[in-house]
Amino acid sequence: MSFDDWYRQDRLPHIYCAGCGNGTIINCTLAAVDQMGWKKDDTVFVSGIGCSSRAPGYIVTDSLHTTHGRAIAFATGVKLANPDLHVIVFTGDGDLAAIGGNHFIHGCRRNIDLTVVCMNNQIYGMTGGQGSPTTPKGCLSSTTPAGCAEMPFDLCELAIAAGANYVSRWTSYHVKELEKAVKVGLETPGFSFIEALVQCPTAFGRRNKFRQVADHVEYLRAHSLLKAKSDRLLAEGKPIPEDMFVVGELARRNRPALGVKP
Amino acid sequence: MKLAIDETRCKGCNLCTKVCPYKIFKEGKKPNRRGIVVPELDRPERCTNCRLQHLYGRTLCGVCQLTCPDQAIDWIEEKPYELKKVAIEY
Repeated sequence: MSFDDWYRQDRLPHIYCAGCGNGTIINCTLAAVDQMGWKKDDTVFVSGIGCSSRAPGYIVTDSLHTTHGRAIAFATGVKLANPDLHVIVFTGDGDLAAIGGNHFIHGCRRNIDLTVVCMNNQIYGMTGGQGSPTTPKGCLSSTTPAGCAEMPFDLCELAIAAGANYVSRWTSYHVKELEKAVKVGLETPGFSFIEALVQCPTAFGRRNKFRQVADHVEYLRAHSLLKAKSDRLLAEGKPIPEDMFVVGELARRNRPALGVKP
Repeated sequence: MKLAIDETRCKGCNLCTKVCPYKIFKEGKKPNRRGIVVPELDRPERCTNCRLQHLYGRTLCGVCQLTCPDQAIDWIEEKPYELKKVAIEY
């Protein structure tokens, strides 16, 4: 059995643009779910609104496509009503960080037994490339034509500070590592947050000098700094380069979780 | 097992040409009926997964299948082994 069995074959091909990284993240998540050996009847996928949130529509299990930003709120309800279910949430950066920010931090605070996979494409892709809370400083979007002047949100730091049990960040280049991270997140009781940076060739890439899909993937590869290396740099007192982001397992702890069957 | 690209799903992003360690995927030249340039396979029998998947009982490399955003890459069963002349690279 492979992750391909979890797709609704009659719904494919999906509507994502050519080269969109969301498909890769769904592959990795489903590969991890497949390794867990769960039954399709016991697994629920929940999502909000956005490009990434169309994902549960292509998955053969029960799925909820909910209102904008409220994916974690709906997932909390599903999990608390029936703790036997395995609930996985797909969200995007606009969904999770902008309109659903409060649901996110309170999900982390309550430490509900959910696995949240955030496909962070650093822009609102579906509505025409508006700047999102995670758009890096200086990047162009349709609402920031002179370059984004604001500092971006670091979602992983937010999740750690709010109290999530497992936090990790990978990109769409690191497929095997992402698969392992999602698997650890599924095994961990309590709130697991996995941020996956993805390329968006249509809305982000064409405004920011990534004409080819591979250029953006190469950028993500070259600007990701492994956790071990950033720790080493910090220990040596050297500065971490400004434009790089830390990837790897950022937090794993054992705080008491809500919604876990005793 | 045989490596195959599903032409009805591929959208021609050419990400597979970047990830394969054997460089089996090559950028295509001709657009197909839907106007999409599907990558070509260069001697796909070199793929590790094609040869050894049954022996090991698990997917060995599989990075192209995981990376493909359109779920177009798959391994299909083929007829029992036929002898074929293969040039060995040194």
